[in-house]
Amino acid sequence: MVSSINPSVKMIAIVIPGLILSLAFDVMTPLIFFLYLLMVTVFFSGVNLKKWLMFFIPLSVFALMLAWTSMIHTDEKYAGGDILVDFWWIEITTGSLQVGISLALRSMCFIALTLLFALTTDPTKLMLSMMQQLKLPPKLTYGILAGYRFLPLFKHELDLLRQAHQIRGVSRTKGIKGRIQRFKRYLIPLLANAIRKSERVANAMESKGFTGSRERTHYHDIQVQKRDWMFLASMVSALVLAFYLSYTFGYLNIFGKTF
Amino acid sequence: MNQWKLKEIVLMSILGVVFGFIYLGFFGVGKILTSIMAPLGLGDLGYEVIYGIWFIVSVIAAYIIRKPGAALMAEMIAALVEVLAGSTTGPSLLISGFIQGLGAELAFALTRWKDYRLRILIFSGVGAALLSFPYHFFTQGYDALEPWVVTLMFSARVISAILITGLLGKFISDQLAKTGALQGYALGKEMKQKKRDDHVA
Repeated sequence: MVSSINPSVKMIAIVIPGLILSLAFDVMTPLIFFLYLLMVTVFFSGVNLKKWLMFFIPLSVFALMLAWTSMIHTDEKYAGGDILVDFWWIEITTGSLQVGISLALRSMCFIALTLLFALTTDPTKLMLSMMQQLKLPPKLTYGILAGYRFLPLFKHELDLLRQAHQIRGVSRTKGIKGRIQRFKRYLIPLLANAIRKSERVANAMESKGFTGSRERTHYHDIQVQKRDWMFLASMVSALVLAFYLSYTFGYLNIFGKTF
Repeated sequence: MNQWKLKEIVLMSILGVVFGFIYLGFFGVGKILTSIMAPLGLGDLGYEVIYGIWFIVSVIAAYIIRKPGAALMAEMIAALVEVLAGSTTGPSLLISGFIQGLGAELAFALTRWKDYRLRILIFSGVGAALLSFPYHFFTQGYDALEPWVVTLMFSARVISAILITGLLGKFISDQLAKTGALQGYALGKEMKQKKRDDHVA
């Protein structure tokens, strides 16, 4: 199951394919990798598919919108081929259609990669693993964890502020201008409170003997096992396979050059 | 990291956490702007006009704490929080956070972390825009776009960095210092000193 993979290794296994995939401008490469990601998500992630779709569908609609931009403003380098649509200022050729679909599929791969990570990773474990495996300084790790723990408090404070404004009759103007004003009215007090709290937390940590030294023991000992490396290897080799297959089928296109 | 006081690190982390969530919120704003501009075929521009918001924690943290690395680390923490909270861009956001933070840190590094006037803060935002654009050019496939669209997007990003990162970033920090919450940090101390000087004069 993907949720039991070491969080740091999992993060690396997700970042690397995301970067390498950005080389491809053809349809085949991201399509093959996307199918692989779907397979991993369905069979090995243990993620509730309904929940997954709830995140995936709205995000991919958005990806299509961005692909539309690149489809009608395609650079000459990619826009070759026959003209399919020529309407007013919109001109779509087979080349630009290909780029549009490729970029949409790339975004969908990114979304699937993200969800594979976000829906299977516990934030606290990720931080602890980053401290133990990636050697993030303990001071930073616990600082971030403390900040993260404040989040429910922020929500509570936001409610308090809202009520305080209401009781004093501060009007809630509508529209964009009102929204910006409200943003300003809430942001400064929220941040000021957060800063005061962070100072108190730092004092409390120090008074309880936290020195931030790296020579410390861990209550939650997070390890890297063989299956973590296997997960990393499978992600990278799936991507290599996607590149190889689209090369053998003659689709592979890296930055406008067909191979 | 050894010259840092724990309270400065915790402050930086908290700023990173708060702005990580603000960044996430602005993804929604960017999406609305994108949907408005998408029918015109300028969807990508929706994000560029507000891009400066995603550099802002660098300027705020550096301006308040005034230590080497504040701009870079605060931006990376914000990116990490976005990832933890489940951002749509995913863990590769850590890389863009690193690049943006590096660009923002550059301005302060060039002044040896001694100059925190408005022009340096603006320069810091522009640095983040300059360094981050080539990275997004690569990952978002801007290479497939017509040159004039890419130029337009780049200009929008730089202008947004000047206005939102530089000017708004300084404004928010100054407003915070006025509340008195920053008395234990460099910006609060400077403000106190200034008040005293004004009093004497």
